[in-house]
Amino acid sequence: MKSTKAKHPFIALAIGALLAAPALGDWNEGGGEQDEALHLTPDLENGMDVYEVCAACHLPEGWGMTEGTFPQLAGQHRAVLIKQMADIRAGNRDNPTMYPFALPKAIGDAQALADVVAYIEQLPMTPEWGKGPWPPGTLEYTKGEQLYKDNCVQCHSETGMGDVEKFYPRINGQHYNYMVRQFEWIRDGKRRNANPEMVEQIKNFSNDDMLHVINYITHVPVPADQLAESVDWKNPDFD
Amino acid sequence: MKKHNSLIAVALLAAGSFGSTQALALDGAALYKSKTCIACHGADAKTPIMPNYPKIAGQNAAYAIQQMQDIKSGARANGLSAAMKGVMHLVSDEEIKAIAEWLETL
Repeated sequence: MKSTKAKHPFIALAIGALLAAPALGDWNEGGGEQDEALHLTPDLENGMDVYEVCAACHLPEGWGMTEGTFPQLAGQHRAVLIKQMADIRAGNRDNPTMYPFALPKAIGDAQALADVVAYIEQLPMTPEWGKGPWPPGTLEYTKGEQLYKDNCVQCHSETGMGDVEKFYPRINGQHYNYMVRQFEWIRDGKRRNANPEMVEQIKNFSNDDMLHVINYITHVPVPADQLAESVDWKNPDFD
Repeated sequence: MKKHNSLIAVALLAAGSFGSTQALALDGAALYKSKTCIACHGADAKTPIMPNYPKIAGQNAAYAIQQMQDIKSGARANGLSAAMKGVMHLVSDEEIKAIAEWLETL
């Protein structure tokens, strides 16, 4: 009986979250909790507390895994993090592993969401993120560089910093394998919350084009003041 | 004298390899954290983040091994196993065994 009692409000909550999902088609409808979280003043202390649950997979440093299972979150724009959380929560981005952690039960209300993303954004990034296999000077690197200039710069910028105002993620410093997976899912329609302009832009990319362009961006440096002093840096908040 | 020395050397080598075997023994509790099991199943392995995820503390190792292997291979794809499949490529067969044996002791 005990478990039944605990179960029902939770299921109601989950169904409520699903029903609240915006209509498909608009990649960034916003509104509701997403807008609310964007405009609240964050409390970094509380953000640290909330982050503890995230740290189990994304690590206390927010660096994810170099091999790409979990992305680096450190340094990512707040607005991007909020949008992704809201999308996963609303069922607009399929991510069964992450799903329970995006629910209000795990994260808390809009204020808690604002707090945790502000905490994540200010974490220093890993100086050794997962890079693609082709260093500068290789043919594959040069091909990727050209593809990037022709297709990506307008939104993600020359340095890969994205655009805070428009919810475009920074992609510099992100792990190669993670980006390859997401790119493929965006191109092939599996990641449903992608900007349709990007889906259109990359629809004719071959698999090689995809690997080359992502390889290129992984070799673009991240500003030194955003990096941890060493790959051995440990987040002192989680000692 | 030479023979004696080589005997000592053999003894030292044996001791050394014994030591390293001990060091290499997989630590199920540490793997439970580093392979991210803890995120969903809870620090005590019986406080899952979702009520429809299982409590696994005290589970028979043989059963846990079978389920982990089946979810990893895709042989088991029902229920909420999709949530776990996303991380199982991180866990080798030896690590699965170590985690399962540790869970059984809880």
